[in-house]
Amino acid sequence: MNKRILIAFLFVTFPIFAGADSLWFLRESTLTYHVSHPLHQTEGVSHGAKGKGVCHAGQCDFLIAVPVKSFDSGDSNRDLHMLQVTRGAEFPLVTVRTRVPESAAVSATINVDLEVQFAGQTAQYKQIPFKVEIHGGETHIAGTIPVKLSDFKIEPPSLLTMAVKNEVPVHVEMTWHHQ
Amino acid sequence: MLSLIFPVCLCVGFAPALIAQIPAPGTSSSMVTGTPGSGQQDSLPNAPSSSTNPPSLTDLGLTPEQTQGNAKEQALLDKRTHMLKIHQRMGLITTVPLIATVIASMGAGGKDTSTASRDLHAALGGVTGDLYFITAYYAIRAPRVPGTETRGPIRFHKAMAWIHGPGMILTPILGIMAFDQKSKGEKVHGIASAHGPVAIITAGAFGAAVLSVSVKF
Repeated sequence: MNKRILIAFLFVTFPIFAGADSLWFLRESTLTYHVSHPLHQTEGVSHGAKGKGVCHAGQCDFLIAVPVKSFDSGDSNRDLHMLQVTRGAEFPLVTVRTRVPESAAVSATINVDLEVQFAGQTAQYKQIPFKVEIHGGETHIAGTIPVKLSDFKIEPPSLLTMAVKNEVPVHVEMTWHHQ
Repeated sequence: MLSLIFPVCLCVGFAPALIAQIPAPGTSSSMVTGTPGSGQQDSLPNAPSSSTNPPSLTDLGLTPEQTQGNAKEQALLDKRTHMLKIHQRMGLITTVPLIATVIASMGAGGKDTSTASRDLHAALGGVTGDLYFITAYYAIRAPRVPGTETRGPIRFHKAMAWIHGPGMILTPILGIMAFDQKSKGEKVHGIASAHGPVAIITAGAFGAAVLSVSVKF
């Protein structure tokens, strides 16, 4: 009898303990990289990011992925060159992973540690501040990741023998839906 | 009985966690983990761990086609960039004899011109033409990336080629005709008299093509 109760208990409780408490889904996103060159200031924009957050025991694990080729600078030649120097065909996704306390969702600003995989390399960015705004059931976050080309061993492209700056900040705007 | 069911429960409950630990497609074991700024490799205090069920790429609805790298496409992009870099470099080099040819043209025409100044102009024009066609070769032969729509300043850059391309063929032909007429002591006449205007239009289109991809308007 005890064995049966134990089996029934395990069947009921295991999926509960193993399952997520809540989920976050990326509803909308705008990621903008900024490239500086003595003759150009260029921006490339992507709305192609996909993301999901899984919360468990007060901690939320987030994964965001964006195809490298989804960035549009308004110049197809530049976009193809960007795809080449970042090895975007070989490594087609930029992925960002982070863990945030569930309670942070109600803060005005959160500082998060990011693990970014890009161009076959992994870089970590610590305590990146993001502004948080809650509108109804959706949470809007905005911030800038101070990406450097050297973090990912990308050789800075050059035009007229002048290379672009190593700093390529990526501004992030995201709207998340909590479920 | 319990020993049989327990592993089943574990598999059901933690299967996503096991799946999440499988390296994501498009990544490789040669990836380097670095900390920007410090250059040290240390674990983050709130970095994701595999103790819960962190989301994976498949959770995002990405297909294997979207996540897997394509070495063939990368090789195509590498070849394209390599050829266009040469195109860019050769184009810049070509502007030097092109400008010199235009300057030398001022002493090549008119009534009181010497044979030497005409020869210099013709020689510079010849060098310009050779370099121009080498430049054009690298642009024409650079591989196209399928499914790419041409957008931005590169459209103007390519459109200019329809002017300076024929111009670079026509200008030396007209120049040779003008040179012959001048060498015979004749006044440049007929279609050869178009050498100057055609050359100016060609040089202007070439300059506009260079500027269109160099300076943001």
